[in-house]
Amino acid sequence: MKKIKLITLAWLLMTHFFAMPVSSNEKVSKVAEGAKLYSENCARCHNARPASDYTKREWSVVMPHMREKAHMTGTETLAVEAFLDSTLTADVKNSRAADVAPQPTRSAEELIAQFGCQGCHLINGEGGNLGPTLDGVVQAKGKSFVKKKLKNPKFNNAASAMPQFPMTSLEIDEIVEFLGQK
Amino acid sequence: MLAALALSANVYAQEESTLDIGRFAVAGYGDVTFVDAKNENSSIESRFVPIFLFQLSEKIHIESELEFSIGENGETVVEMEYADIHYFLNDNTTITAGKFLLPFGQFGPNLHPSWINKLPAVPGIYGHGGNGSLTPLIPVMSDKGVNVRNVFKVGQGKLFTDFYMVSGPREEAVVVGGAGVPGGHGSIPEVAFEAAKGDNNGKQAYGGRVAYAFLPSVEVGYSFYSGAYSDDGKLNYSANAIDVNWITSFATVRGEIINTETDFIDPLDGEQDLFKRGGWYLQGSWQMRQLGKEVFNPVELIVRYSELNDALAGKRWTLGVDYWLEASAALKFAYENTKLEDGDIDNRIFVQLAFGF
Repeated sequence: MKKIKLITLAWLLMTHFFAMPVSSNEKVSKVAEGAKLYSENCARCHNARPASDYTKREWSVVMPHMREKAHMTGTETLAVEAFLDSTLTADVKNSRAADVAPQPTRSAEELIAQFGCQGCHLINGEGGNLGPTLDGVVQAKGKSFVKKKLKNPKFNNAASAMPQFPMTSLEIDEIVEFLGQK
Repeated sequence: MLAALALSANVYAQEESTLDIGRFAVAGYGDVTFVDAKNENSSIESRFVPIFLFQLSEKIHIESELEFSIGENGETVVEMEYADIHYFLNDNTTITAGKFLLPFGQFGPNLHPSWINKLPAVPGIYGHGGNGSLTPLIPVMSDKGVNVRNVFKVGQGKLFTDFYMVSGPREEAVVVGGAGVPGGHGSIPEVAFEAAKGDNNGKQAYGGRVAYAFLPSVEVGYSFYSGAYSDDGKLNYSANAIDVNWITSFATVRGEIINTETDFIDPLDGEQDLFKRGGWYLQGSWQMRQLGKEVFNPVELIVRYSELNDALAGKRWTLGVDYWLEASAALKFAYENTKLEDGDIDNRIFVQLAFGF
């Protein structure tokens, strides 16, 4: 029994002092890193669920549970929470923002980074593979399809894990134009 | 010592979270299952399995899963699957205490909830007291004790380790197999894994799992478990397993190989003997959205093969079709064909509505 206690203590010390935090690529934003972790870790066991399945407050309690289930570090958990925070509004239905501005205030690249699209999709050959590549998606599916998907991700697949992002119609147009050039 | 480690640790916790901080949430799953077997009355079963989650502080998290179902006499049956407390010691290490799902293989700790298990039935090697006509190797195990979990970045992937100490198995009076068990054994004492109050022999069981994940596609793990089960503490039960998980955006392949060894007293000569039994399963799934036809987007095809070797051997094919109503709700259809070593064949049809929430 004494030997087991010593081994346990040695293991704890080793893991504490020599543990290497799983580093995130500094070039990638925390949100994009969180989106990538979300797609990589959730889908290891089950379908990735839309972020809108829980509110922000609920996610803050669910994430420590999932940290254990998915073997994530605390740093990774915080990145996933940053992604969820960027995706969700205070409204549990995650309604799209009202179209109040005459022009989008952010570029397509900024919007894609903000919502962590590359966590699940390839853009310019880089990103996750939970969802289909977005390179050539406008040419293949048409602008109308991509706009519809951004407005209502479940319109063609009820099981889609893609969240409904709080984007305005103008922001959706901006992203679709950008993807049309890919 | 633990307190010193915790205090000196970097804080990677909720105080840095970008989310609004909550205290309580309910998640969980449930299902309704219709089973039609040739030699049994068809039946409909229903379960509701809430998971209660509490966040006491940035470092302490509490969780409990209760399973509600209907008993043989119409009574409500409540089982506590787990109730434990996590202490996040540092960024990589978590200490869990209480009754928890043992990290043995992948199906038990992670894949058994019905909305995650892609088929309406569990793999042939898992179950307690029977899995259709098969006698499974091991139940989905949960027990009382302490677990230390670590996550390390190693190379391009991650190394997971779990080591635990729990109350351990107990001796059960029921005899499995009887005189017909191959290998000359007269009777094999069944090992009881359900956590119970107290301990029959005062000896703890030890186990763990070491796994490497080549994220995001592949995870390979090795699990072990060993503990005395007899009242006098002299008879031991041990198991080890290798599990593999391969994931793409539209397909998965999962498999586990489990071998068990159980000490027992041969009633014919009173000598201690060793009873070995093993088995494995392999499961594949494929999402039909790959066909590019919108009508097939929510449909997934699944095939699983399970095999039990040595005593009480059997082979089972399970074919399934899932229609996903939501990302966490599926209508599942499955056909199961089991061939036992004595030549008996058992065919079953399942229809299940499973949901996660």
